[in-house]
This record gives sequence, structure tokens and C-alpha cells, in this order.
Amino acid sequence: MKNILKPGIRLFIICAISVLLLSVVSEMTKDVIKQQEIDAKAAAMKIVLPDATSFSDKTETGQSDVTAVYEAIDNGKTVGYVIESNSKGFGGAVNIMVGVSSDGVIEGVNILSHTETPGLGAKAVEPKFIDQYKGKKVDKTLVVVKGKVPEDSEIEAITASTITSRAVTTGVNNAVAYFNSNLSGGVTQ
Amino acid sequence: MNILKTIKNGIINENPIFIQVIGMCPTLGVTTSAINGIGMGLATTFVLIGSNLVISLLRKFIPDKVRIPAFVVVIASFVTLIQFLLQAYLPDLNSALGLYIPLIVVNCIILARAEAFASKNNPIIASFDGLGMGLGFTMALTVIGAVREIIGSGSIFGFQLASAYQPMLIMIMPPGAFLTLAFLMVGFNVLKNKNKKSIQ
Repeated sequence: MKNILKPGIRLFIICAISVLLLSVVSEMTKDVIKQQEIDAKAAAMKIVLPDATSFSDKTETGQSDVTAVYEAIDNGKTVGYVIESNSKGFGGAVNIMVGVSSDGVIEGVNILSHTETPGLGAKAVEPKFIDQYKGKKVDKTLVVVKGKVPEDSEIEAITASTITSRAVTTGVNNAVAYFNSNLSGGVTQ
Repeated sequence: MNILKTIKNGIINENPIFIQVIGMCPTLGVTTSAINGIGMGLATTFVLIGSNLVISLLRKFIPDKVRIPAFVVVIASFVTLIQFLLQAYLPDLNSALGLYIPLIVVNCIILARAEAFASKNNPIIASFDGLGMGLGFTMALTVIGAVREIIGSGSIFGFQLASAYQPMLIMIMPPGAFLTLAFLMVGFNVLKNKNKKSIQ
């Protein structure tokens, strides 16, 4: 009995001390981490809508493809919206942020998270691909093409990563569709 | 075993990748580029030194029967602690290394060194063993990552090399990992044995 009790008790002590240490550090860093996440979010939103100086709180949409909207504000005026959407990529969900200005122009797209293949689909975060969305108007649905110079409503796919390219484009199209049906009350025609 | 010898042991004689052949998962998985290799290697080195130190300090307290669960608890706690601190106080470094930190818990090398060395030696030499093994691991990962990146992406540390070069994409995918590892392992062992022969 003693053979089982002694190791058991010692293991218990080691686990107890580890848990104690971890909960102390967790509590200590909890607020700082929360603030980091908020700051990172704000920085990410500024990438897609640089004209904005502040952003409203998150509005959940209740949908699974377009998940949240933030109002982008500059000088008390709404200058656009930051829309979060997600789509199915090659290796899993691709979460993006789309910045749409009030006059219906995509100001930027930022990929928040993805699990695409490094060197292939992961290249979607590079300016060469992601900057293609900048300046596109919300009046058309974007289509992915390969092997040709893309036209106004077309996005050139990443070599050997058509699925990832399509995933990002679908996410953008969904965000734009949401903007057109729910938010373009703010669009000046 | 003195300190320099211990460090050299981890880098050459008992290199965890090329000689001991452990820690294969991160080796094959994250070496798609040189910078990934360095990042994972350095993060692991940090954890290795820490866990070797703690386990060596506790070596008289941990009963032999339950040593493996005890080691795992110490290692996992250590990694989680580092993750909290990185997230809170070094957020830029955290987003650069973010994926790799949780992966370190399941790295064989850490458990292997805890079992084979840290639990049987004093804390000072155990820390240096952690350093040596970590450096050997980092060196191996960086070289593998560099080879795969040069041939598979046509770049090194993110800098594009010849823009006319059409990269061999297979090198940054799993088969490329196995191929690169195999050839480098042969090369490393040939060099190591050649050195040994000339000393004799």
C-alpha cells in the first residue's frame, strides 16, 4: 500500500504546485492579454480601412459565414464598415476582415487566420495576392481566374493554390453581399 | 563531463536530429523555411534548458514509478507558463512564434533529455545539456529549413533568390521534408565519421 501511496502523493504535490503556479500567472496576465487582443484587433481593422480613426463595438450578425460588423468612424462620421467573414479553405477555415468604405469601395482585405499550406495557399497573405481586392467596387461579384490577366471583376489565383484563392474571394464576396443588403443605407449613390 | 563537452555533445556527437533521430515531428513539419527552423529551434531550446533545470532540481523528489507523468506535467506547465508570459508581455514575438509554442510540449527531445540526462545529473550540467541539445536541434532545423526553402521556394530567409527560378514545390511539402532530412543525415554522419577517423 505504501508503495502506491508515496509516489501517488508526490505526484499529487507536483501537479498541485504546477496548477497553482499556472493559475497565478494566468490571473496575473489575464487583463494584459485581453488588452493585447483588443489592440491587435484594432490594428488589423485599420489595415483594411486606413481612413478610420476609431471603430465601434462588435455587432454579431448571427450568421455563420459573415460573423461580425464594426462601424468605422472618423471625426464622428461613419466612413465605412469592417466586416468579418470566414470561408472554407484548403486546410480549414479562412477568417478574413474586409474594409468597405461608405461609398462602396473595398479598401482592403486582411486575412486574420488560416491553416493553408506554407509556400502555397499561405501566400494569400502576401500583398501580391491580397492587394488585388483593393479598389474593387461592391457592385460586382468577384471571380477567380488563372493563366490570364485579371479584368475588373476578376482575381488572379495564386499558382497551384486555386482553392485558397477561391476561399478568400468567397469570403470577400460574402462580406460585400452583406454590405449591399444590410449596410448600404449608408452608401451615397 | 565538463560543460564544453556537454554542449558539443548535443550539437555533434548526440545531435537529436541527425544522430538520435528524435523530435521528428517538428523537424519534418515546420522546416518549410529557414526562419521557421530558427524560430522553432530557439523556442524549443529555451524550454529544454528550463525543463532540464527544473527536473534536475526535483530529481530526488520525483519517485521513479511516476517519473514520466511527473516529467510531462513539469514540461507542459513550463510551456504554458511561457505562452502566458509571451502573450502578455511580448506580443510581437508571440505572433511570430505563436504556432510553435504549444507544439513544443509534444516534442520528444524534451522528454528524452529529461529521462536520459536531467533526472540523473546536477542542475548546472543539466542546463548545459539542454543548451547543447537545443543548439544542435536549432542548427539541424535551420539547415533543413534553408535547403527546403532555397529549392522549394527559391528564397532564403524570405529574400527572393533568382526570380527566373521555378521552385520545386515538392520540397516544401511532406515528401520534400523526408528527402531533405535523409540526405542531410547522410551528409552529417559522413562528415562526423571523417572527422573521427582523422583524429585517430
